[in-house]
Amino acid sequence: MIHIEGVAKRFGGNTVLDGVDLRIAPGEVVSILGASGSGKSTLIRCINGLEKLDGGTISVDGHRVDDPKQLQLARRCCGTVFQLFNLYPHMTALQNITLAPIEVLRVPRRQAEDEARELLASVGLLERADAYPAQLSGGQRQRVGICRALAMKPRYLLLDEVTSALDPEMTAEVLSILAKLAANGTTMLFVTHEIEFARQISNRIVFLERGRLLADLPAAQFFAEDGGLAQPRIAQFLSKMSKS
Amino acid sequence: MQYTSFTPHDLVLLLQGLGISVALFAATTAIGLAIGLAWAMLRYYRTPLLSPLAALLAELLKNSPVLVQLFLVFFGLPVLLETELTPVQAALITLSGNTAAFIYVIAVSAIESVGRDQLEAARVFGLSRWQILRRIVAPQAAAFALGPLTGLLVNQLQVTSLISVIGVVDLTKAGAILNLRTLKPFIVWTVIGLLYYLMARLIAKACARVETRLRAHSEWKGL
Amino acid sequence: MTFDLAPLAPYIGDLAAGARLTALACALALAGGLALGIVAALMRTAALPPVRRAAEVYVDVFRNVPFIVQLFFLFYGLPEIGVRLSAFGTGVLALSLAGGAFTSDVIRSGILAIEPGVLEAAQVSGLSRLAIYHRIVLPIALRSSVRPLGSVFVNLVLTSSILSAITLNELTGSAKIVASDTFQPFEVYAVLLIIYAVMTWLVSLSSAALHRRLNRGQG
Repeated sequence: MIHIEGVAKRFGGNTVLDGVDLRIAPGEVVSILGASGSGKSTLIRCINGLEKLDGGTISVDGHRVDDPKQLQLARRCCGTVFQLFNLYPHMTALQNITLAPIEVLRVPRRQAEDEARELLASVGLLERADAYPAQLSGGQRQRVGICRALAMKPRYLLLDEVTSALDPEMTAEVLSILAKLAANGTTMLFVTHEIEFARQISNRIVFLERGRLLADLPAAQFFAEDGGLAQPRIAQFLSKMSKS
Repeated sequence: MQYTSFTPHDLVLLLQGLGISVALFAATTAIGLAIGLAWAMLRYYRTPLLSPLAALLAELLKNSPVLVQLFLVFFGLPVLLETELTPVQAALITLSGNTAAFIYVIAVSAIESVGRDQLEAARVFGLSRWQILRRIVAPQAAAFALGPLTGLLVNQLQVTSLISVIGVVDLTKAGAILNLRTLKPFIVWTVIGLLYYLMARLIAKACARVETRLRAHSEWKGL
Repeated sequence: MTFDLAPLAPYIGDLAAGARLTALACALALAGGLALGIVAALMRTAALPPVRRAAEVYVDVFRNVPFIVQLFFLFYGLPEIGVRLSAFGTGVLALSLAGGAFTSDVIRSGILAIEPGVLEAAQVSGLSRLAIYHRIVLPIALRSSVRPLGSVFVNLVLTSSILSAITLNELTGSAKIVASDTFQPFEVYAVLLIIYAVMTWLVSLSSAALHRRLNRGQG
C-alpha cells in the first residue's frame, strides 16, 4: 500500500503540491490526470524520492520515503518509467535491464540475463538485446525502459507521462504493453495525457488541479455526468483534451 | 661556504627578477600577438604558398616543448648563423614565436566562428574583404577569442619561467639563487610560486573585464 | 650555414634511451594524474562545500604556478622533510600532481555533461551511491573525456622536457649531452623538436582511435 498524506511541495515561491491525500492498494491501476503544471509529475517524483517533501508523509509498504534510512527500501518496492526514457547510454539494452538486479538484488549474472531476455521477448525486442540506446527508436527505448523497471520485480510501477515523447505509432506500441501489464494484475500509477487509454484500463482516476486533488473516483464514475463531469473544471479539461 | 639567511638585498633581487619576467612577458605577448594575427591574415586572404606553410610552422611550435625551442634558439642559432645571442635575445625570439603560433590558431578559429551568412550578406552589399574584416569579423571574433586568449596568456606567463634555464635572471632564476644561498627551499619556492600565482590571477581578472566590455552589445545575459 | 646530421649517428642509442625514459615517466604520470584527476573531479562535483573547496584550491594552485617552480619546490624541499626520492621519482610525482589538476577539469566537464535523467533512473532503481559512481558516472564521463584527455597527455609529454632541469636524463637531458659532445646544437635540437612533434602526433592519433573504439554504436 502506498500512503500519501498531506503532501506539500514548493519550488521557490511556487506551491506545486498543496495537501494531497491518496492511497494506492496492490493490484490497482490508478491514473493521474490534470493540466500541465498541476503537480502530477511532481507527485510521482515525491513517491520515488527524487523530490523532497516540504510537508506531509509518503510511505511505501510501511517504508517512509522522507526518512533517508528507509528510502532505499521504499525504492525497491517501486519501478519507475520516465518520459524521456533515461536509459544508460553506455550500456546495451540487456545491460540496462540487468544492472540493478545484479548490483542491488545480487542476482547472479546468468540468471539476470535470462530473465532480462524474457522481458525483452515479451515486448518484442529480443533481437535488439545487444543494441545501444542510440541505435533504438523512441518506442523501442521506452519498451526497454519498461523492462528495466520490471526487472526489479517491483510491487508498484510508477509511469511518468511515458508516451508524451513518442509519436502516435510508437505510443500505440507502448500503450498495448502497458494494457497487458494492467490486465496481469500489476499495480500501476500513471501520469498521462492519454485520456482514452486511462478510461479503458484504470480502476480509479485522480484529478489534480494546481496541487490539489479535485477528484478521486472509480473510472466509470469519473467520466459520468453526475460524477467527475459535474465539476466544471474537470468538464472543461476533458472537453479541451478531446478537441486536441 | 656560509649559508646566510635572508637579507633586505634579497627583496631587491626578487623585484628585479619579477620585473624581468613581467617585461619579457609583456614584450613577447605584444610581438606574438602581432605576428600571430599577421599569420591569421595570410589564412584569411588565402595566400597560396605562405598560408599552408604558416599552418605547418604553427603546428610544429605548438607540438614541441618550449624548453627545446629555447635551446634551439639559444645554443643552436648562434652556431648556425655564426653570430652571438644573449639569453634575453634568445628568450624574446623564442617566446614571441611560440606565442604567435597559439595566437594564430585562436585567431583562425575565432574568425571562422563568425557566421557565413553575415559574410555573404556583406559581400552582396559590396563591402571589400578588408572592410568586412574590420567592421564585421574582427569585433565578433575578438569577443569569441577572449576566453581562449585568457587561458593562453596565463599559460605563457608560466612559460616565461623556463628562460631561467638559459640564464636569464627572471623571477625563477632569482629563486634559484636564493635557494642555493639560503638553503630554505620551502620559503623560497613558496614565495616565488605565490608571486606567479598572483600575477596569473591579475591577468585573468583583467581579461574578464575586457570580455564583459566586448560582450556588452550582445543580448545574452546568462542563465 | 651548414646542416649536417651525420655526426649525430653514433648517439642515436643515447637518444633512444632518453626517449624510453620520457615514455616511462609520462606513462606513470598519466596513471597518477588520472587517479588524482578522478578524485579531484569527484570532489569538485560533490555536495559538501568544504570538499569542493579543497579540490578547487588544489586545481587552482597547480594551474597557476609554473611547472618548473613546482618541480624545484619538490626536488629541493622534499629532502628537507626527510623524503628522499630519486630525480625520476620526483619528476613523476610533479608531473602527476600537475597532470591531475588539468585532468580533473576534463573529467569534471564530462561528469557535468551527464543527463540528469540518467542519474535519476539509477537512483530510483536502488543503486548505492558507490555503484552509481562506479557503473554510471565514471564510465560515461571517461568515455566522453578521451579526446580532451589526449590533449592533456600531449601537454604532459611536452612538459616532461622540463625534468631535464633536475638532472634527469630523459630525452631532452640526453639531447643536451649529445649537443655538447658533437658541437652541433642546432642539428640536435632541431631533430629533438621533430621527435617530440612526432610523439605528440602519435598520442593524438591514439586518443582519437581510442575514442572511436569506446564510443562505437553510441552515435
